[in-house]
Amino acid sequence: MASASAFSDSLNQLPVADDVLTRPANGPFVEARDIRMQFPGVLALAGVSLSLQRGDVLGLVGENGAGKSTLASILAGLQRGYEGDVLIDGRRVDLTSPNRAREAGIALVEQELSLVPELSVAENIFLGRLPRGRIPGFFSRNLLEAQAQSTLDVMDIKLPLRHPVRCLSPAQAQLVEIAKGLVQQPQLLILDEPTSSLTGAERDKLLTLVRKLRSSGTSVIYISHKLDEVLEIADSITVLRDGLKVAAGPRKEWSEERLIRAMVGRDLSQYYHRRSHNPGKVVLEVRELGVPGLFTSVNFALRQGEIVGLSGLIGAGRTEVAEAIFGLRRATTGKIIVHGREINITSPRVALRQGIALVPEDRRRDGIVPELTTTRNISLGALSKYCIGPFVVQDEERKAVVSIASKVDLDAQMLPQPIRTLSGGSKQKSVIAKMLLLSPSVLILDEPTRGIDVGAKSDVYRIIHDLTQTGMACLLISSEMPELLGVCDRILVMHLGRLVAEFDRETASEESLMAAVAGSGNVLNNEADWQRPGGTLR
Amino acid sequence: MKDVTATSSALFKSLPVFKAPTSLVRNYGMVIVLLGVIITFSLASPFFATFQNAVNILNQVAVIGIVAVGMTFVILTSGIDLSVGSMLAVCSLVSAEFSVQTDPSLFIKILAFAAPVVLGAIMGGVNGTLVATGYIAPFVVTLATLGAFRGFAVWYHANPIYGLPSWYRALGVESVFGTIPYSVLMYLTVVVLASLTLNRTKFGRRVYAVGGNEHASRASGINVARVKFAVYVISGVCVGLAVILQNGRVGGGQSYAGDGMELRAIAAVIIGGVSLFGGRGSISNAVTGTLVLGVLFNGLVLLNVPSPIQVIIIGAILVAAVMFDGIFGRRG
Repeated sequence: MASASAFSDSLNQLPVADDVLTRPANGPFVEARDIRMQFPGVLALAGVSLSLQRGDVLGLVGENGAGKSTLASILAGLQRGYEGDVLIDGRRVDLTSPNRAREAGIALVEQELSLVPELSVAENIFLGRLPRGRIPGFFSRNLLEAQAQSTLDVMDIKLPLRHPVRCLSPAQAQLVEIAKGLVQQPQLLILDEPTSSLTGAERDKLLTLVRKLRSSGTSVIYISHKLDEVLEIADSITVLRDGLKVAAGPRKEWSEERLIRAMVGRDLSQYYHRRSHNPGKVVLEVRELGVPGLFTSVNFALRQGEIVGLSGLIGAGRTEVAEAIFGLRRATTGKIIVHGREINITSPRVALRQGIALVPEDRRRDGIVPELTTTRNISLGALSKYCIGPFVVQDEERKAVVSIASKVDLDAQMLPQPIRTLSGGSKQKSVIAKMLLLSPSVLILDEPTRGIDVGAKSDVYRIIHDLTQTGMACLLISSEMPELLGVCDRILVMHLGRLVAEFDRETASEESLMAAVAGSGNVLNNEADWQRPGGTLR
Repeated sequence: MKDVTATSSALFKSLPVFKAPTSLVRNYGMVIVLLGVIITFSLASPFFATFQNAVNILNQVAVIGIVAVGMTFVILTSGIDLSVGSMLAVCSLVSAEFSVQTDPSLFIKILAFAAPVVLGAIMGGVNGTLVATGYIAPFVVTLATLGAFRGFAVWYHANPIYGLPSWYRALGVESVFGTIPYSVLMYLTVVVLASLTLNRTKFGRRVYAVGGNEHASRASGINVARVKFAVYVISGVCVGLAVILQNGRVGGGQSYAGDGMELRAIAAVIIGGVSLFGGRGSISNAVTGTLVLGVLFNGLVLLNVPSPIQVIIIGAILVAAVMFDGIFGRRG
């Protein structure tokens, strides 16, 4: 136990307190110069610089796809092939592997959980650096648990050390992830959306921890969508947009409105192809739809030729509602009514036959078959239309694909290529084209612009508008407020598995939407009886 | 120490660098290997490069080749069928049983040929149904039926059935005009039909889609369970067809027939370049793999290489083939 308490001391004294004094005090601790990162088809970072003093907390904000997480992963050594220099204490470091970053004292707590579900909490916290036991090749469980406990004590939280991580709630899992970053005793800790599934008290404890780290000389980069948190904790704030640093300054120069304006900042009505619509009769109606543990009593209707937005935090149940309507998930309660008839949707096949199509959130998992050509991906759903008996008439298939590709602005030269070689934007257009070949009357788009560049985004908005002109009803699920405000006729808001608010175009604003998303808007349903879904990691 | 490394690196620099045209190697790698093996054996043995020996090789590989075609469908959906050998034993015994009836009517004669195919389809259907539920991995399902079908074969007829009549054995041993064996024709027919199915039909397209990305296939409205069911039935039917040739060649049916056949069939498919993870590969890959194994076996026998050594060499070729593909990124 002696070494365990020594460990806890070292945490309490905090990472590098002893050698802070020996290093030059002037000059930034971490400096990134002109960082560029090119992904296939997307320039994720177009030359971003930032610098950080010891004990500084830098808030990093921006829309989805602005490049925040890419920058974080570069600093953590997870991205090869970046351009630009990273200097630590004035010395250039090559962050080409996670180990290099670790040696340089940088730790990243990622947005997406990277825990091993079957291992215990303690084992996960010390994954890869388990304390050695007396017998070579074995690790010491006592020492492990003592050290894990002292880490959690520093964080001022309680977790069941021996339970497998899969039994934890998403919030608890996130805390384990943070503990994992902490035991590396980093000099620079990067927190990427650390509070996305934390609630009040846990959130406050995390902010306290960040302050403790700051006062001990550890630098923190704090990435978050929650602007109030950033304003509360950061010493300075940097705003990224489309891979560029558009603004930076000390905390006192910023307010929430200024941050939002800097994050969005462009002529919105043209970018979103803003147009008015004349909704027709109801195509799809959802009544009291529910899946236990995910969402309950969801009611709404979609009319011909309108675009309805669905907003909410990750985990609010938006994607799950879409999956239930599309038959990827079985709704246990409620009705789905298509063109006035109640339909029991048991599979995507049934949904597609009823004219309901989904452009899925996870493009790589649910959208494309990477090895097939783009043509064959696009024709995959509607293949029967181009068949005589069991045989595919490839000429007809090609013609249909070429004509639909021109409608979604997809370059015909890409059609014979394997779809895995296409950029994110072109892949997304292909997935949309695939659904359009089935001529649906309802199109559900789940985060259709995630991870695609600005030009392709604008194309997607135009496609959605064109479709509504032909009488299609669109349900647009999105985490990007400006996108919802720019494109939709109405916006529904979900919070903790319930529909809590509805705005029409005139009454919706960034502030009212933010408030509703965070659960403090004009609540439509009583949410007292709602229990947060505990349990499994996804 | 310094001198040694300096000279050796200088030596490497002075060597002519062989740069393979990557795309050619990637697409036809195994065909090139096959040609290389053929040329080597032709030089090493005067008996190898003869028309009769070529026909012999095709005749020898017909049985395993047909099974490998069925296996290709299964592997393309990222599945595996370990039960082919045991299915072969069941089909072999039942078919033989029909053929040895005294004074068989035309109906019995037809049954002798139809029974193995139908039985293969039924046993494949059992595999397919279990896999299509989605609760059990194909490896586990077919590992279980590998045991179960073999058990059934032994229980049904522990002793071999000998003395199959000549009308029944014709397909296995006779030739058209005395030159091209029926077995070779049957193998070619199966290969052509399978290629057509995979390349030209919507079912074939769906096999690739399900193997390439099951989730995306389901979200595109494909009935994934039905596709999976179908490929196991196809595998069973191919085993049934192979039995007709096998029984004819051997002249009997036995409960331990086809022992270890699953591994040979899988090896042929993988050596040919079909991705074990599904979604990538073709019938021509399976044929190439089958021929590589067949030619190796034949040539090594002609060179009087002892059979344990043969097995070692074939194992080495399997490793080399997969590593070769890994290096050139086909499986990446």
